[in-house]
Amino acid sequence: MSSVVRLILGAVAVACMSGCASSRYEWNDYDTRLYEYYKTPTERDNFAEALREAILEGEPSGRVAPGIFAEYGYLMYEMGNSQAAIMYYQKEADRWPESRFFMNKMIAVAKNRMKKDPVKSKPAEIAPPAANTPETVNPSSNATKETVK
Amino acid sequence: MKRMLPALLLLCAVMLSGCAHRELSKQERFLAASPRSILIVPVVNNSIDITASDYMLSTITIPLAERGYYVFPVHMVKRVLEDDGLADSSLVHSAPASRLCALFGADAVMYITIERWDARYMVFNTSVTLVLRYEIRDGKTDEVIWKNREYMVYNSDGGGGGGLAGLVAKAVTAAVTRAAPNYMPLARQASANSVSSYPGRGIPPGPYAIDKK
Repeated sequence: MSSVVRLILGAVAVACMSGCASSRYEWNDYDTRLYEYYKTPTERDNFAEALREAILEGEPSGRVAPGIFAEYGYLMYEMGNSQAAIMYYQKEADRWPESRFFMNKMIAVAKNRMKKDPVKSKPAEIAPPAANTPETVNPSSNATKETVK
Repeated sequence: MKRMLPALLLLCAVMLSGCAHRELSKQERFLAASPRSILIVPVVNNSIDITASDYMLSTITIPLAERGYYVFPVHMVKRVLEDDGLADSSLVHSAPASRLCALFGADAVMYITIERWDARYMVFNTSVTLVLRYEIRDGKTDEVIWKNREYMVYNSDGGGGGGLAGLVAKAVTAAVTRAAPNYMPLARQASANSVSSYPGRGIPPGPYAIDKK
């Protein structure tokens, strides 16, 4: 390859980097999907799916955004899958040292629930069907209460 | 009234392109504290639109993280606070930043307050007015290290605004209808503006920023 071509390619690369550097993370419409979930709490599965896709796409290239592993882990926890919750909390802690304190706390909460209620904490690969009652929308309320205080 | 129309249109165009009134930031204090992580607590909503806080909480993470900070997962944080008996966002806002930071291991707390969020639907024209207040307090000293006030008027009849503002205005025009308003483009723009627009007034780039301008 001639040096001229290389120079041009380099210039194009630089132009691209400065022009397209608008996003350094894989968000997968995090804002829209979170808002939709708030608007319709039965949309939790869709929010979880969006986070899962963001992780799938971003993880190989290290472009998973701050908080995404944790948000996904927390949804897993709400759905009763403590094991998956712990795994994703740990990923968040490993990727972002700033999150370690909080994640360790939440890992302890999830481990505590597994000890107390091993049957309920078995991994549920498919999310349970969303229900309308407020009790099922946030089943974790008691479990988190204990240790965050 | 007819003679005033051009002047009004001009005013709309200026507002669309400029997004007026911004207080100066406290950059020196911010740089002295130089937080790496920011905890965004649930939004206080003093407007009449009940969906406004969900819009702002959903859209603030992306611009702040892209600015280079570790942003705590807003939804998870909201739930954990609720479980901890802090479901009332004004109660959370009145808690000292140092206490909140100690709970989550955060360096600083961002508080968002919606003061106005009004949509006026007229025959040929829809206008939306937003007034948002932002504050970041240091987790060690409880001091305000950054604040901003965002005032925006989007007018479907504005027409004059070019560039991004014009595009957003168009999106708002298309989306904001009486039946089911979709404020997502507007909320995104407000969040992005508050954090990163206009050098010297936005939040300085954080530790993970690529572009250290």
